[in-house]
Amino acid sequence: MTVDSHSGVSAAGSDRGGAVGERWARVDARAKVRGELRHAADEALRSCLDVVVTRSTRPHAAIEGIDATRARAIDGVVDVVPGAELHEILGDAIFTGPAFADQPCLAVGKVRYVGEPVAAVIARGHAAARAGAEEVAVDYRELDAIHDVDAAVLGAPYVHDELRPSVVFGDLAHLHGIRDTNVNYEYVLRHGEPAAPPPGSTTVSHEFWCPPTHHVPIELPFTAAWRDGDRLEILSTTQTPSYVRQSVADLLGLPLGKVRVRSAPLGGSFGAKMYDRLEPLAAALAWTRRTAVRVAVTREEAFLLTTRHGAAVTGSMTADADGNIVAADADVRYDTGAYADVGPRITAKSGMVASGPYKIAQAHVRSRCVYTNKPSAGPFRGFGVPQVTWSHESLVDELARARGEDPAAFRRRNLLREGDVSVVGTPMHSADFVGCLDAVTAALDWEAPIERPTGRYRRGRGVAVGIKAVLTPTISNAVLQLNQDASATLLISTVDMGQGSDTIMAQIAAESLCLPEGSVRVVTADTDVTPYDTITAGSRSTYHSGNAVRKAADAMRDKLIDIAAARFGVPATDVKLTGDGLVSTQTQETASIPELLHGHFGARGTTLTSESEFRTQWQPYDKTTGRSPQVTEHWFAGAAAAQLTVDTMTGRVHVEHLEIAGDVGRAINPALVEQQLTGAAIMGLGHALFDQMVFDEGQIVNGTLLDYQLPSIHDVPDKVTPIVVENPHRTGPHGAKGVGETTIIPLAPAIANAVRDAVGVRITRLPLTSERILDALAAQEDS
Amino acid sequence: MTDIDLQVNGARRAGRVGDDDLLLDVLRELGHTSVREGCGVGACGACTVLADGYSVSSCLARAVRYDGVAITTADGLPENDDVVEEFVAARAMQCGYCIPGFVLMGHELLAENPDATAAEIDAHLEGNICRCGTYLEIRTALQNVAARRRHDTVKEPA
Repeated sequence: MTVDSHSGVSAAGSDRGGAVGERWARVDARAKVRGELRHAADEALRSCLDVVVTRSTRPHAAIEGIDATRARAIDGVVDVVPGAELHEILGDAIFTGPAFADQPCLAVGKVRYVGEPVAAVIARGHAAARAGAEEVAVDYRELDAIHDVDAAVLGAPYVHDELRPSVVFGDLAHLHGIRDTNVNYEYVLRHGEPAAPPPGSTTVSHEFWCPPTHHVPIELPFTAAWRDGDRLEILSTTQTPSYVRQSVADLLGLPLGKVRVRSAPLGGSFGAKMYDRLEPLAAALAWTRRTAVRVAVTREEAFLLTTRHGAAVTGSMTADADGNIVAADADVRYDTGAYADVGPRITAKSGMVASGPYKIAQAHVRSRCVYTNKPSAGPFRGFGVPQVTWSHESLVDELARARGEDPAAFRRRNLLREGDVSVVGTPMHSADFVGCLDAVTAALDWEAPIERPTGRYRRGRGVAVGIKAVLTPTISNAVLQLNQDASATLLISTVDMGQGSDTIMAQIAAESLCLPEGSVRVVTADTDVTPYDTITAGSRSTYHSGNAVRKAADAMRDKLIDIAAARFGVPATDVKLTGDGLVSTQTQETASIPELLHGHFGARGTTLTSESEFRTQWQPYDKTTGRSPQVTEHWFAGAAAAQLTVDTMTGRVHVEHLEIAGDVGRAINPALVEQQLTGAAIMGLGHALFDQMVFDEGQIVNGTLLDYQLPSIHDVPDKVTPIVVENPHRTGPHGAKGVGETTIIPLAPAIANAVRDAVGVRITRLPLTSERILDALAAQEDS
Repeated sequence: MTDIDLQVNGARRAGRVGDDDLLLDVLRELGHTSVREGCGVGACGACTVLADGYSVSSCLARAVRYDGVAITTADGLPENDDVVEEFVAARAMQCGYCIPGFVLMGHELLAENPDATAAEIDAHLEGNICRCGTYLEIRTALQNVAARRRHDTVKEPA
């Protein structure tokens, strides 16, 4: 289903090539279905030694000694490398990370979570490496550990002796060397003047909690690395090949040109395979041991590599007598685990939307990133925003109910519109919250009364809206080669991990050049070949890489027109590119692309090349208010509405209808957009109902797929409607923006609001397990 | 070590395997990239193969026990395999990593129960995880296979 544009920006003139807006098949569809698409671990490699690490059994401890005698005696074990040994060679460069340089690829002196790599066993064959890793004896001196985010905010024990911000972000420099704290970053937003609540106003307040969760892409992480003369080569399951090249170059003190990072099509990722995962260890071992190594982890180990941030939010919201939201307050604590990873960025970029997509006179947000002795938390589809949305969309719902108002109507009155300035100071454009809300409520026939049985099964409806800013500033580049036979090869470093970027980038290039489906091949990211791209993450690729691709393809079209103009002997303004080739509007002379390039080069098989860069800019937050007139390049807007039943005997939720909408600017490929909307919603449904990592004193207790529950086909609602809302963005490629995260953001509160509607209980801790629902029903009965 | 004859996709593949060697690893070493480890505990279905037509989690199966058994992997299905083609037509893939397992589960189900209902399809696929959430397209693809085999009309892809 598609809802047409209502904003002033027109996408007219972009339909030239017949590619954009079409439901082209995924470029590798059949190879994917047959399992013939080659992923990183499928590549034929030179002979590699296998690496398995010995992992910490303590949440917080000093390493007193490591005895590898028994491990070395195992047949096939070649070497055992403790962290201290790598530290001796590499120095403090061993500490890496996108925001803080705090994480060593092998623990140095101290372990900070159960599962942290302590020593690497290098062996001929995975079995020998695994056996060796189990025989490395580590002598620990236990230190007091801290597991709870709110205890960690208060003080000791401290996970790190001092803060180590990386050199990448200037706005973190003031944190360098700060001691005696677990809070590694704090973002504060102050908008408007605090005032006493006006007469007749209504205020609601709650404590909210989202547990840590795991991404669980079905493809496990994999990295291989080897020396090629004086260069290091890496093949890895990574969303961020350009980042990894810089990080590994810094780690080993190599120039960028001496590090080659290749990615491969990913079997899902959702944020799990980015920044520093297995790459620093593989690179350090391959370089220092002068050997080719392969690191393949089990599912149990993958659970320890990164997680979604657990987050506590203390929130309140006030509406005046007329039903306008006049104040919002949020105190957010992100549990980033033992290493900051990109937590500080999440803390700011998600903290700033903690009061939601509403017009609010006065807002105050305090958002903190906090170390604890748990596996490091990093990026996860939604980048911290679902956790704050859980708070603001639950609060808004309670506020509407407290006023006796329909929750959808209350939101509609208060939502930001085109041109409105958000509490963070940046105006809205191409972010149709009202359109998304109206679309999902219309799809659910919200105004019509529903049957509300009074027995064991109770029915209810809920709705929620979400807002997220796209990561800004970032950079994308594209190089396009038009082959003499009118096929094209596109060089970008965007990684296709199931979102379909190889297909839609081909569509954007084909649009400019009037090429047919199947004619544009996207080259898999390889830093020796494909140009720099900040990251494939945060729903940024369609807009950023898409713009770079469009500019490169438009430049190619201009080149073709110039060549044709010379051939035809007419001005360039008289030449048009069509699906049949180039034509002179003056003389009607024509030349196909193959004829034109053959004539131009005098040879078959030639290529014509064009290139482009695309960058976005921001204005940093004001130091005292946290506000900025240009905090982001654009906004994502989405909504979800659910109808469900609650079994009051078992506490089980059955979702009957799920309606989801996202304003994508313009859908380059509506079929792929609908799959992203639906896929993110099903992942969000897991977060709403059962998905969580459970820790006991820092030890994960459900870190296998026997114990960790994921949405299966049985969890799919009876009816799911993805709705594409299109308000073209003035600078998007053909008006387009991204979509990968849009519907995971409002999903959990939409479900909780429907449970509230069905059985009258407000649950503030995710997930909404049967036990939680039954407990809440029992408490309701008691009161 | 034991000498075994694997019959993979109709071809005899003689080999010597250890008692603990997993069918998953042996098949991958033979180049069958459609067989994948997702969990190692038989809980996700990414390693599914058919053994004499019945689905097996190859991450739990000892290769030595499959001497002489006919193994089918998704990459070895014939050209124009109807289940593969309906998955393609229904856009039943995103990252695609789990899809070969669903294709083989579909083959197993529809061989046993050509008229499988949506509920029966769901019941048969409950042990396979698609983390991208492509379940609706997968269900449609299998309904369309069943319909085509019966010469009924099929659902158009989105």
